[in-house]
Amino acid sequence: MTEKKTTHFGFEEVAVEEKAAKVAGVFHSVAAKYDLMNDLMSGGVHRLWKRFTIEASAVRPGHRVLDIAGGTGDLSYQFSRRVGSEGLVVLADINDSMLNVGRDRLIDRGIAGNIQFAQADAQYLPFADNSFDIITIAFGLRNVTDKDLALRSMLRVLKPGGRLLVLEFSKPQSELLTKVYDAYSFKLLPLMGKLVANDAGSYRYLAESIRMHPDQQTLKAMMEEAGFVNTEFHNMTGGIVALHKGIKP
Amino acid sequence: MGITLSTAAVAGLETLVKAALRYDPATRRKLGKLAGRVLAVEMTAPALRLYITADEAQLYLMSHWGGEVHTRLKGSLSSLLSLARSGGGNLAQSGVEMMGDTGLLLDLQSLLRDLDIDWEEALSQLFGDLLGHQSAQLIRGGLNYGRDRASEAQRLLSEFLTEELQSLPSKLELEDFNQQVDDLRLRLDRLEARMTSYFNRTSKL
Repeated sequence: MTEKKTTHFGFEEVAVEEKAAKVAGVFHSVAAKYDLMNDLMSGGVHRLWKRFTIEASAVRPGHRVLDIAGGTGDLSYQFSRRVGSEGLVVLADINDSMLNVGRDRLIDRGIAGNIQFAQADAQYLPFADNSFDIITIAFGLRNVTDKDLALRSMLRVLKPGGRLLVLEFSKPQSELLTKVYDAYSFKLLPLMGKLVANDAGSYRYLAESIRMHPDQQTLKAMMEEAGFVNTEFHNMTGGIVALHKGIKP
Repeated sequence: MGITLSTAAVAGLETLVKAALRYDPATRRKLGKLAGRVLAVEMTAPALRLYITADEAQLYLMSHWGGEVHTRLKGSLSSLLSLARSGGGNLAQSGVEMMGDTGLLLDLQSLLRDLDIDWEEALSQLFGDLLGHQSAQLIRGGLNYGRDRASEAQRLLSEFLTEELQSLPSKLELEDFNQQVDDLRLRLDRLEARMTSYFNRTSKL
């Protein structure tokens, strides 16, 4: 009998082929209240983290941008305004519930013409080689089953000289902050999820998946292993979140 | 200042500039000249880095920029403010180092001069109330300098035409003349009324 390959789903060990369906379940459940919960959970600071990501992307008019795990479209909205009519933004998400919420929200905000929507798996991106100037994945990589495969897939569709930006929860840089953050995310976060979205389980998964995600140096090394160069990261809010950047050679 | 705080401070400043632009379509139309160009302002004391760029519709202020910079200014807050006061033409004495395209600086300065921004609120967000207030006074002084010079020139020209050449009447003379015209018109009105009354009476006889 062969041993089944397993991976993390929060603190649980699950079979590799089950993770995507379990993550999909979480995001189907939270899609409708995703923005509200993000604001509540981060005190609105997630907007600043995303703003910094846009600044670090150095996006210019005419650029082609792929926003993976783009969810409700916060980054795509800004990118669409910055790339102008000559550029293109592709909002991609594996989860159709999140993609629907994002598409409706962007249309309601008057974003059209230079934006496309794609239901796509980050591990097997359905785009031609060398297609994009910028790829972002914000709070998405930790939910991907095989992160190395996803990073290689992103490298393939980036143009040479193009940049990948990974915005993700990471490891706080001080002991005290770690203690406060742990108490917050394992006690308060599921409670808020229960009260606001009536879904404590999904928010417990979010807290657990953050702890299982590679820390700053490990993710940087993974990006280098995948083939990115000039990799660097910026810690934000004491390292609770980090922005990793890598260039396709 | 940490990334999150500096991003928040610059986002607050950008909100104020955008609010001013929203009600100023004439200035907004000039934004196209800046599109795609990036100005970096590196303040040494207090330490702050700011990047400014624009597209056809908006001005963007950023705390970080991962791409090409076209013009770079470096100096202390006071030297940067003294550059603003000098109207942009006196880099040599301002203590500000500049690298890159001067045209971008002049275009941006002309755009900001026309905008009615609450500088005190903006700078207080960056440096706190006291330093923010003092800096705002200096900026307002700098940006209003051009406007003040223009109205001063108008006053001097008007004095030259009236007092020196005496080709134009003074304001007092003009007011006196207007008063006399008004008096004459009233007297004519009264005369007309009395004549009408006189003719009405004679026609009944």
